[in-house]
Amino acid sequence: MTMRRVQVLAAILAGAILAPGRMGAQAPDSARTDSTVRARARADSAAKADSIALMRELEKGVAASPSGGSGTPRGQVPATGSTNPRLLPDVSVVGDLMYDLSPKGSTQENGSRLGVREIEVAFQAAVDPYFRGDVFLGFNDLEKVSIEQAFLTATALPWHLEARLGRQLLPFGKQNTTHRHDLHTFEYPWVIQRFLGAEGGKGTGGSLSKIFSPFGFYQEVIVTVNDRIAEPVEGLVPDTPTNQSLAGLGYTARLRNYLDLTQNANLEIAASVATSQVAQPVTTSEEFNAVNARQTLVGVDVTYRWRPLQQGLYRSFILQGEYLRQINEQNPDLPPGSVTYLGPSRGYNGGYLFARYQVGRRSFIGARGDMVQDPEADGSTLAAGSGYYEFFPSEFSKLVAGMERVSPKGQSAYTRIILQATFALGPHKPHPF
Amino acid sequence: MRMSFRLLKGSPMRIMTPLALSVALLAAGARPAPAQLKVVTSTTDLWDIARQVGGTRATVKHISEGYQDPHFVEAKPSFVLDLQKADAFAYVGLQLEVGWAPVLVSGARNQKISQGAPGDVDVSRAIPLLDIPSGNVDRSQGDVHPLGNPHYWLDPANGRRIAELFRDRFSELDPAGASIYATNARGFEAKLDAAAKEWAPLLAKIKGKPVVAWHTSWRYFAEYTGMNLVGFMEPKPGVPPSPSHLAGLILTMQRTGAKVIIMEPWYDHKTADVVASKTGATVLMLAPSVGAGPGTEDYIAMLRNAVTQVARVFP
Repeated sequence: MTMRRVQVLAAILAGAILAPGRMGAQAPDSARTDSTVRARARADSAAKADSIALMRELEKGVAASPSGGSGTPRGQVPATGSTNPRLLPDVSVVGDLMYDLSPKGSTQENGSRLGVREIEVAFQAAVDPYFRGDVFLGFNDLEKVSIEQAFLTATALPWHLEARLGRQLLPFGKQNTTHRHDLHTFEYPWVIQRFLGAEGGKGTGGSLSKIFSPFGFYQEVIVTVNDRIAEPVEGLVPDTPTNQSLAGLGYTARLRNYLDLTQNANLEIAASVATSQVAQPVTTSEEFNAVNARQTLVGVDVTYRWRPLQQGLYRSFILQGEYLRQINEQNPDLPPGSVTYLGPSRGYNGGYLFARYQVGRRSFIGARGDMVQDPEADGSTLAAGSGYYEFFPSEFSKLVAGMERVSPKGQSAYTRIILQATFALGPHKPHPF
Repeated sequence: MRMSFRLLKGSPMRIMTPLALSVALLAAGARPAPAQLKVVTSTTDLWDIARQVGGTRATVKHISEGYQDPHFVEAKPSFVLDLQKADAFAYVGLQLEVGWAPVLVSGARNQKISQGAPGDVDVSRAIPLLDIPSGNVDRSQGDVHPLGNPHYWLDPANGRRIAELFRDRFSELDPAGASIYATNARGFEAKLDAAAKEWAPLLAKIKGKPVVAWHTSWRYFAEYTGMNLVGFMEPKPGVPPSPSHLAGLILTMQRTGAKVIIMEPWYDHKTADVVASKTGATVLMLAPSVGAGPGTEDYIAMLRNAVTQVARVFP
């Protein structure tokens, strides 16, 4: 709203400045000097490379073409040939730049103040009539190159089933299924970072999903089998490989329920569960320093969206919340000998509440409140509150400014001030709702 | 359940009688109603033409609303349910729906409407297009459509082409209904011809008149009516007006004598009002799609409404 007002006022101002001197609407043409005419011509919108200039250029192209010049209708029949004769995949790039202006130093993982957090390159195409392939590679200074996601989607299964093989963001919770650069905040909520990993939970394996609507609204069940459900802790070497038995794999299930409340508002309520064995520390041994213990995550998430269709370019609102509980096995089987279990002796809870309101065509404000019993700090509570301003110059670029106050229990609170810029090159595919 | 149990315990005759009656009733009523062709369209304009061609043999639903910018539609999961059951999905194409339709179509997991299937109806393939860039295209030119301007339904000649495409495609999907689709398409075209004759005198008033539009969506309408588009509110397609662009546009309007600014209902009229106040122009909030406003309940009414409103400005 404010942005629009500024634009309108600026337009009036510009008009007022230009009108008396240059427009000279009341003065006869003969009274104008050549320089005035030239200045007008420069200011005239038709002289600029704008929409109308582009249209005129296109018209010239049509007129110059054999069909256009022969007096046939000005329209062109679309080309009947392929627009992709080499069958190249869609290639797109997303850049994610982070400028950390926090008063007590950088809060980024690599300690940089001004950094390229990640460049993501995507290759997407149909493989054959039965499969589609999606590959997302991540480039950053810490990990260099990593396979963010790479999956094969079966598109021709019966009963409206969809199966995927490969690595993907785990369909657990709501925000975890969104790429980090597409979040409305800089990072995943603290509970997701602490329970699933700073870059969200990913797994390599397979998934199967089914859409149904026995009650008249959209429901979807997604089940997966993966090598893990969360980032393994570096340096932990379990007595037996975690995936040695099938029970050591990660299993997840998610049920989505989506309802249109009105034409302008909708509600999504979902529940997720994930279970796996994870390496947990034990008293140090020469051969191993961890044992496998079961960890189960349960979560519910609720998202309310409001977007009046007619004003959809200017107004919208999202309210979203997630609650997650991490349940840890407290007495896992220990190998013979004097080994003491040092893993978590309790379960942990966490969640967040996020709201985002659209204030103009390109502008949004948002806020998030976080709370998590931090597994990395023996369950002591970490609370955080953050506010954001998002500006989208276009659909393909985003600028975010935000501040976060983080209060870990028993430690001094600190403030983060972060600017973020993301941009997309190429045919970046739309993301799921 | 209890009743069934009692029946089963009764004599064979007592069991057979209701069964026979049921079978007889089913047989009598089994004259199946003609199978309904299930069609989903991306926009209300395609929806209206599809239902006119499909008639009673087709059930047609649409995804976007007429008063909604078709570039920006939320890919709501509820639409997936409609697409999951569809025999055909008809869309404008030329990347108009690129931000949302691919998610819905892949989410529907319906082979009948997957790319290249008979039910995948890219309507733009039947249309002579305007504004096809011939050179390099990039996003510095704004939200330019590299395959051509997608707002072609605003020319009634293209409405006729859409009807003919639907006639052919529906006949392919439902050969038993081919004659009905042909009859319905002819009926639609006759109505369109009659309406065009009715508003022909109004076109004479519009022809050659300088007009400013908000977005390039009115290109086909301008081609049809003969009105002269001398500028756009958007500096580049899809880019909101900047103060410097508006200042230049005001000069353009004063130089050309443009007295009308045409815009869609989903844009903010305050900016257009500012330009109008500086130029003495009239801001026309025109319905670019079926259902976008009063008097636009079908395709022909929508066109009639647009022609009438523009003509009314010119004495």
